This record gives sequence, C-alpha cells and structure tokens, in this order.
Amino acid sequence: MKPSVKVPFVNLGLQYQNIRTEILAKFDDISSRGAYILNEDVTAFEENFAAYCGVKYAVSVGNGSDALVLCLHALGVGPGDEVITAPNSFIASAWVIARVGAKPVFADVRADYNIDPAKVREAVTPRTKAILPVHLTGRPAAMDELTEIAQKFSLFVLEDAAQAIGAKYYGRQAGSLGDAGCFSLHPLKNLHVHGDGGMITTNNQELFNKLVLLRNHGLKNRDECVLWGFNSRLDGIQAAIANIKMKYLGEWTRRFRAIAERYTQALRGLLNVPSDLPHEESVYHRYVVRSDRRDALQAHLAEQGVETKVNYPIPIHLQEVCHGLGYQRGDFPIAEQLAGEILSLPIYAEMDDGQVDWVIEAVKNFHSGGA
Amino acid sequence: MKPEGSKTGSVHHNFLPEQYEKSSQPRINHNYLKEQFSDYKEVFKRLETLLETGDFTLGRAVDEFETKFAALTGTRYAIGVGSGTDALMLSLKALGIDKGDEVITTPYTFFATIGAIVTAGARPVFVDVREDYNIDPDGIQKAITKRTKAILPVHWAGLVADMDPIQATADKHGIEIVEDACHAITATYKGRLAGSFGATGCFSMHPLKNLNVWGDGGVIVTNRADLHEKLVLLRNHGLLNRDYCAVWAYNSRLDTLQAIVANHTMEKKLPNIGESRIRNAAYLDKALSGIKQVKIPPRQLHQRHVYHLYGIQVEDRDNLLNYLVAAGIDAKVHYPVPMHLQPASREFGYKAGDFPCAEEICRSVISLPVHEFINEEHLKHTAFKIREFYE
Repeated sequence: MKPSVKVPFVNLGLQYQNIRTEILAKFDDISSRGAYILNEDVTAFEENFAAYCGVKYAVSVGNGSDALVLCLHALGVGPGDEVITAPNSFIASAWVIARVGAKPVFADVRADYNIDPAKVREAVTPRTKAILPVHLTGRPAAMDELTEIAQKFSLFVLEDAAQAIGAKYYGRQAGSLGDAGCFSLHPLKNLHVHGDGGMITTNNQELFNKLVLLRNHGLKNRDECVLWGFNSRLDGIQAAIANIKMKYLGEWTRRFRAIAERYTQALRGLLNVPSDLPHEESVYHRYVVRSDRRDALQAHLAEQGVETKVNYPIPIHLQEVCHGLGYQRGDFPIAEQLAGEILSLPIYAEMDDGQVDWVIEAVKNFHSGGA
Repeated sequence: MKPEGSKTGSVHHNFLPEQYEKSSQPRINHNYLKEQFSDYKEVFKRLETLLETGDFTLGRAVDEFETKFAALTGTRYAIGVGSGTDALMLSLKALGIDKGDEVITTPYTFFATIGAIVTAGARPVFVDVREDYNIDPDGIQKAITKRTKAILPVHWAGLVADMDPIQATADKHGIEIVEDACHAITATYKGRLAGSFGATGCFSMHPLKNLNVWGDGGVIVTNRADLHEKLVLLRNHGLLNRDYCAVWAYNSRLDTLQAIVANHTMEKKLPNIGESRIRNAAYLDKALSGIKQVKIPPRQLHQRHVYHLYGIQVEDRDNLLNYLVAAGIDAKVHYPVPMHLQPASREFGYKAGDFPCAEEICRSVISLPVHEFINEEHLKHTAFKIREFYE
C-alpha cells in the first residue's frame, strides 16, 4: 500500500489560499478592463522587479527559457559561437544555446553545485562568446571570478537566475551580476505565476531596447517591424498575479532560509548539507543534500510520507540529445558524482515547522538503522 | 526604439496596441473583450479548482482542450502551445526546416507569419495575393526553387486560401504545407475545415481572435502521428519524461489557466461568434454595395469566411478612417505596410512594386467592426457614415 503523503514536495494550493482574496479581486479588475496583453500590470510588474533586483531595466517574457533565448539572440550569439555553461542544470540552460545556433560547451561544477571558474577558464576558446552560469538551487555562482574571465576574453555573462530570485552575492542581487539576468516564473519557482512566465533584468539600455522588440514581433509601433522577432510575452493576468506575490516575496524568502537553516542544523553530521558562505545568501529554491545511499534514503523517506526529487539525475552532457557534442562519461566527474548522490528535500514557504521536523526525523531514523 | 526617460526605462515600452486605448471610448468598438468576458465569474469558478490544485503546466484542462479542438477542426491531433507565432515556428521546426531553406508565403499578413519563418532559421519568399487578399496559387508555382521546403498560406481575415491548387503544387514538388489559420477557426473551403489541409494547421487564441483566451495562446492541429509526437516534444524542452531529453527543443506551452478559458469560450460562445460575424459581414456587403469608391472582395459560395476581420478597399482611405473614427466607429487598418516593405525585410532585397496587389490592398484597405456585439443599428450607422463621407 502506498504510504500517505505527510510532506508533499510542493503544495501550490496552500499559497493560493493565503492570497486568494487578492487574486480574485485582481482577476475581477482585469476582466472588467478587458486588457490582457502588455497591459498596465505588466509594466507595473517590470518596474517592481527591476527595483527589487537593483537594475535599471526588466523585460518580461513568456518563460524562463525564452528569457535566455532572447538574451543570447539580442547579444548576437549565433552559429559558430560557443557558450560555456554547467552540465548539472535543467536541460533548458543548454538547449537555449543550441536554439540560437551556438554550441553548448560544458564546464564542471564544484561541490556547491555551481560552475567552477577554473574549469570555465580551461574551456574558453577563440569561439567562446558568453558564459552562462546557473545559480543552481538558488545559490549564486562565483560571479567575481567568472566576471574576471569574461573581461579578460571579452565575453558576455548571462546569469541563469531561474532558481535564484532574491539570492545575494556580496550583498548584490542575483540578476544584477552579469550583462543580463534571466528568471523563470514557472509554478515551481519561489516567485511564480499560474502558468508560464519569465523575466530578464539588465542595466544595458541597448540590450533592453532590443529585447523589447524581440519579445513582441520586432514591432517598433503597431505597423512597423524593424527586426523579425519572437512572440514571447508575459500575460497581463500573470503579471498581475506576480505583482501581488512580490509583496510577499521577502517574507517567503526568509521562510525558505529559515527552513533550510532548520534542516542544516539538524542534519549536519548525518548528511552533506548546504550552507551559505559568508558572502552568499542562497534562497534555497531547492534544499539539496547528498548521500552515498541516496536511492535507499529516497525510498525510506517515501515510506515515511516525505516526497523528494532528484534535480537532476542525468547530467546534460550524458543526455541523448548531446550525443553529437562528443562528450562522454567521465568528462565532468564532479557533476556526474553529484548526480548519483543528490536529493532535494521538500521546501516551500508554506511548510510548517512540524512538517520540517517530520522530514528531519525521517532522515534521522534512516541513519539510525530504522531502515 | 529610443526609450523615453523614466525610472526604470520600461514604462513607455509596453506600448498598448491601439485597440486597447481607452481614451474617448468610441461607440462602435473594435475591442469587445469586456462584453465578451462579462461572464468571467463563470470562468472564475472553473479557475478556482485549478488554483487550489496548482495543476498549472500542461494540466488536465489542456488535454481536454486538445481533444475538443481536434474534434472542432476535424483533425486527429491538437497540441496547445504558447502562441499562434510559436504554432507556426514549431510546425516548421517539426518539419525539419532550418538554415538555407525557403518558405513561400504572402506579403499581406501579420508580422508573426514572417517572424516564425525567420526565427525557424529559414528565408521567407513572398508571392503576391489575389483580390480576395489570399496568396495566389499561380505565383507559388513560379516561386518554387530547389531550396523551397514549405508553403505557408495565410487564411487572411478568416477566408481559407485557395487550397486545391496550392495542394496540387505542393504535391507535385514534394513540399509541405503549414497553414496559418490564426484568423480562420471554423472557416471552411469546399466543406473542409481550416487547419485540416496542411501538414499542420496553426491557430492563435490571442484576445482579439475569434476563439480567444486571457493572454497569449496557440494551438497546432495535424493528422500525422509523427508530427504530433515531435511537436509534443518540441513544446516541452524535448523531454520524453521528467529526466530524459531526446531533442533540442523549445518551451512553448498553452497555460492550463488559458486552456480553461478556451474550453469555456469553445463550449459557450464560439458558434455564436462565427455566426454573428458572418451575418454582420453579409449585412455590410449589401449595405455598401453600389458605393463606387468601395470595393468589396469577391465572395465565394464554396467558402465559409468567418470574418475575423471585415476588410474592404476604399478610395481616400486615410480620410475615411479619420472620418469614421471621429464618428465613433472604431475602424482600423490591417495593415498599412506589406511585409516585404517592412524595415526588417531589407535583407531580403524586395522593393515597392514587387507585389502590386498586396501593396494596393495595404494602401486602400480598411477594417470595420463586425464582432458579435455589433448590432444592426451599428451596421446601419457604419454604412450611413461611409456613404455620407463620399457624398
């Protein structure tokens, strides 16, 4: 018999219950105005988002993948170019590079799951056009070292901040650390909408101008198209929802960090657990532990009603889609080792301490021979 | 392209399509979304279940929508995607279209048709239209080269292109057809539904379309199992399941939330939307006939034109437009500049005069409101004002 779930991996309904009245009122407002595309809510959300990230410009788009595609396109990355990224991310951070005709080049990560600047340096060739670090799990990548490499070789730095809204690096916000920052507002993200959505942040006015065109058919005005572009817009209704949630983001982020802290305090010594370095503030989009008995631990937790996930079990360079790129097992030993050991424990702002403790107990009794 | 100064710079850049301008509310509106979604509370009821369960991405309502939409268009498969533009682009990619390929299309269309071809990596090759505003099948035959991979006819305004000869040409040369049916839901040609002719048919559900949602949305239909399988991968990161990626792909999904809106519109409203537009168009055809400055496109008995737009050609268009707008009639121009003369087309080397019919339409076309909230009085007033202008 399937054990009953005590701590689901996600529970989006809870968040909705907490802000239901506000959301319904907003739906009402939009429906009575009849404006759904690039409306005032979109503009307001972009302004909020830019201010939150401490950048001059924010451009909303259809989803987090499109945020990356549009940036690469706008930066002129294309056929013949190479972009260096991490092999342990969600597949989108690699396919966006292929999408614009460039070649994804992987560099191994460090034990903190983020791309290793030393490996990036080794991967630079005359064809390298950009570095695309992923702030995986919500922890900022080593941006200072990466920026130094980028400056030395005149490369763009495009932050994949899909998991990292609110994360800080030496006090600076994720999304403000590279030439542009790309965010996802997918329902499983810390700040999310009720469908697909994405956002790009930048201080570069020229890039901003281009992105605004690219997301909306290249239209300079209703009738004039100055470049053939995409259609990738954040729905007005989703922007309105996101705007409501922006108000709570600080509170939610504190809760994510508090849960992470509770896990870390309790599980340190039993498992490899994450913790911030002094200059980092991770937002723990994923709370990832490592165990050499990962699969057994996952099975044990499932029996205890704790849902867990592996983000992600197959490194990108070993995916079928990458066969043509010539990588093989052993190329990125750390990413490969991590893939076999990582486990994401449930974490979301609406989890209560009882649930967190339940997870902790379940992990503890796995190690005390309860399983 | 220059941003006007502002705190973040983004303020002025969400230019609202002029359809949404709220100033001086004209009496005969082009935008009818407030009226159309006046039953939004009914939709809210369905949305609440979604919000409570959080089934936001490719959720159950998307499956339901796809089944219904395939049935509506008489095809085997429907795939919900992010927009009509993406429906076209993903179709081209599913057919293997890439750099160096040519796609034949019309210069009298919305920008998205061309954007989809270009962002798929291919080059658009334009062929002039005929007096019914749709691509000329004879011209297609002449434009075919070794690099032609697809024909992309646009069912402009809701009138299906002349598919028999287009199909014959495509078959003869072994090239694919992708239908831009964004305007043409439930339109028919010799009894067959728009979207069911090509390798794929592509629809938009943008708020101003006949079947609309509360944001961007699109859908692809096909009878081919191989294309269906590919498109399902292409719209969702190439993922075979949560962990395995089979192909480099895209992210372009119809939101579950929007699928719920679409299901509601499809069930409750679509038949009436089509019928009222057809009725209103017929009324205007009659009311405007005999005005020598007005040219109504030829109407075909074997076609069910669904009048996403009611466009006619008129003399002294710009002055008539201003006259009508001043009289509270929200007339529009779709569109004043053909695609081959857009600044973005410079790289393709076309010039004015290359497509005389399309250029003449762009110079003289005007769209009049015929949506389901337009009544006989509105139509009478519209026709009266047009006559008055020419008298």
